[in-house]
Amino acid sequence: MLRFTLRRAVLMVFMLLGLLAITFTISHIAPADPAALAAGPDADRAMIERYRVEYGLDRPMYEQFAIYLQRLLTGNWGKSIHTTRQVWDDLVTYFPNTFELVMFSILIAVALGVPLGVVAAVYQNRPIDHTIRILTVSGVALPMFWLGLMAQLYFALHLGWFPLGGRIEMMTDPPQAITHLLLVDSLLRGQFSTFVEGLHHIVLPAVALCFPALASIIRVNRAEMLETLNQDYIVNARAHGLSTFRIVAVYALKNAMLPTMAMIGLRFGWMLGGTVLVETVFDWPGIGLYAVQAAISSDFEPIMGATIVLGFFFMMTNFVIDLIYGILDPRVREQV
Amino acid sequence: MRKLIGVALVAGLTAASFAIASPSAQAFERRDGQKILVTAQRQAVPTMDPSVKYDASIRTMQQAMYDALLKYVDTPPRIVPWLAESYDVSDDGLTYTFHLVKGAKFHNGDPVDAEAVRWSFERTLKLGKGPAWMLNAFLKAENIKAVDAQTVTFTLDRPFAPFTSFLPWWYIMNPKQVLANEVDGDLGQKWLIENEAGSGPYRLKRVEQGTLYELERFDGYWRGFEGKLGGIIYKLIRESSAQRAALMRGEADLVTGLSPDEFDQVAKAKGVVTSTQPALTAFGIKFNTQGKLTSDINLRKAVAYAFDYDALIKIYNGRAVLQSSPFTDAILGKIDVPGMPRKDMAKAKEFLAKSKHPNGGIELEYVYVQGLEEERLMGLILIDSLKELNITVKMVPLTWANMVARGSKVETSPDMIAIFATPVSIDPDAVAIQYHPSSQGAYYGVHWLDDPELTKMIEEARFTTDWAKREPMYAEIQKKIVDLQPEIFGMMRERRIAYRDWVKGYEYSPVRMTEEVDFYPLYIE
Repeated sequence: MLRFTLRRAVLMVFMLLGLLAITFTISHIAPADPAALAAGPDADRAMIERYRVEYGLDRPMYEQFAIYLQRLLTGNWGKSIHTTRQVWDDLVTYFPNTFELVMFSILIAVALGVPLGVVAAVYQNRPIDHTIRILTVSGVALPMFWLGLMAQLYFALHLGWFPLGGRIEMMTDPPQAITHLLLVDSLLRGQFSTFVEGLHHIVLPAVALCFPALASIIRVNRAEMLETLNQDYIVNARAHGLSTFRIVAVYALKNAMLPTMAMIGLRFGWMLGGTVLVETVFDWPGIGLYAVQAAISSDFEPIMGATIVLGFFFMMTNFVIDLIYGILDPRVREQV
Repeated sequence: MRKLIGVALVAGLTAASFAIASPSAQAFERRDGQKILVTAQRQAVPTMDPSVKYDASIRTMQQAMYDALLKYVDTPPRIVPWLAESYDVSDDGLTYTFHLVKGAKFHNGDPVDAEAVRWSFERTLKLGKGPAWMLNAFLKAENIKAVDAQTVTFTLDRPFAPFTSFLPWWYIMNPKQVLANEVDGDLGQKWLIENEAGSGPYRLKRVEQGTLYELERFDGYWRGFEGKLGGIIYKLIRESSAQRAALMRGEADLVTGLSPDEFDQVAKAKGVVTSTQPALTAFGIKFNTQGKLTSDINLRKAVAYAFDYDALIKIYNGRAVLQSSPFTDAILGKIDVPGMPRKDMAKAKEFLAKSKHPNGGIELEYVYVQGLEEERLMGLILIDSLKELNITVKMVPLTWANMVARGSKVETSPDMIAIFATPVSIDPDAVAIQYHPSSQGAYYGVHWLDDPELTKMIEEARFTTDWAKREPMYAEIQKKIVDLQPEIFGMMRERRIAYRDWVKGYEYSPVRMTEEVDFYPLYIE
């Protein structure tokens, strides 16, 4: 196990490096001129040059990359040419918000998706299966931002059950940062009302965000369950007179969960990088908006910063999923 | 079956969205018993440093925290004395002497004196960022002198008529405070990102990046206040529909980013005041006048006469006016240019016959900002309008960054490109200079126009200080620009603003950028 972990860790470093090189190249191939954009629409040529020199954009590309990596190793993430702010400060501000949102969202998706997938499989082609299918088809087909907008209009504006957007109320001071995760920090600091407020704000965006993931988890889980339920050992279990609940929940689900786990991991990674639409609708101060803004203005240090963080967490997720695979499936463990 | 269910679901949800009830207005926010005005805005304010950057959102905040020597107010815009209660110009038009008001104080209690003014201008010129371009060609930092505590003189390198029209955008900072927070000789750049050292009506209370910025009233403000407001919260709400919802619920008191349709909806709601205002912004479809096809002036004229101008207005639900000159309405010296092209197919065909492609059969590229629905519709108008000339249009959506990059080189600058341009001042030079070769490659200079006669006219006019002489010069310049047809002169879109009826004192000036708000006169009744 230790060797497996170590090997993955080393591999991850190289993958991150590769990711960095690709992102760096892409952000430099784009025709947009970050110096001109930062200097402003009316700036004269001398002003643009000043930005170019100040941010080292006048050097050859490989040199810029080398300088960037060197600085990164000393913990300097650079600063945005567009906002003049330190990238690290921004990442610390925005990433935890997105992380919280995605965690919450994937929890909903798993908590609902796995049982619903099982139910749909057990009651295959019965009314309940069809009802669940409505959910899965719409979850895949409906655009997330539209769902978000509709949920906002109905549940926030019309019914007034939820806030329209934002992380907490305007007048509430966020808890002093420990982990930078608002829900965690407010609990650690004993600000229970802030915790409830944060929870209240996270529901709508998390639900809107979880829909596509929920739909694919249900679909994969249903398909796997159907296959598993027809296996010989299940028939055998039935023949031995085991209760249906025990057969489904213990024997079948454990095997059906393997591909579902893979799907959950994949979805989690996608969600981390794909929150921008939900963040826009609900004004969630997350990294999605930040990364997109940076990409639009060819602001390469924030692009790189966001890529490293998102890439790292994507890889971590896969890593954790692999570990869970090992726990669920003894064959994988033996191979390792 | 699946399809049917999906359709039913969509229909149901859509119906639900229409069933949205009348606004349940809450009261405005309060802090310590004082009324707080909440404004919902779309754009973040990454830095507040007056020497480093300006755009609509940044300037909204800067204007609240800082004062300048002069200020723009009203429609049509006028420049009024502000920190400078008066100024004199020497006979040669080179030296400007400003007399500062007495009693103006920075937020930490330091007096606003001539040295602070001198230092602030020097800082902006030295850093060479943000507004520096406005004056750096005519003013050297060493030629700004603090004569005594209340008097400061500027000696220009040569007479430059638009000088005072730029001063409202040069904010005065407290040198003592800034220098006390200097890091590695950065003239306080790092500190001023999220701090301020101004003398304006509001001081910065709180910055939550990506979420909100809060201002509190500066009780010692030298001009006093009309109504009493405890403070202002600048809240980021990026979606038009969310802005509308916040306004309806009373969570926002004033919003600026509504789409035309959302705007029409809130206009009908009770307790909401809406207004549309003329703007300084012009929309045009610029030709590359050095392009392979569009260097042909007859082709450009043919396209300009074929274009359906009325359709342009319809895109904005009628809330736009066609340009009657390259200068928008609020620009000083603007005239209605006779013979401004309007849709006239006979004339279009006449010009096409004189061009190198008398029978059409060519394709023109139209580049616009990706995701900007209005500009996409304008492209469709183009396709439709030019069909009769046997000219096809290739629509190419690009991000703003890539669009600007393409326009920055004459070889890659597209045949036609959709551009909104807001001049920074009301001086006619602010628009005229866009047609000077020095503007080539800037977003408003993607036409790559280079007409020696026009260039001479523009230069002469900007260095003439007597308005009686300048005014007729600009009339000729306007005619000349229209004659050269570097673009399809489009329209002036009206600005849309909506607020709760308890908000009072809203003042507009077209010189402000789209979505820029002057917080100073606002209060809650």
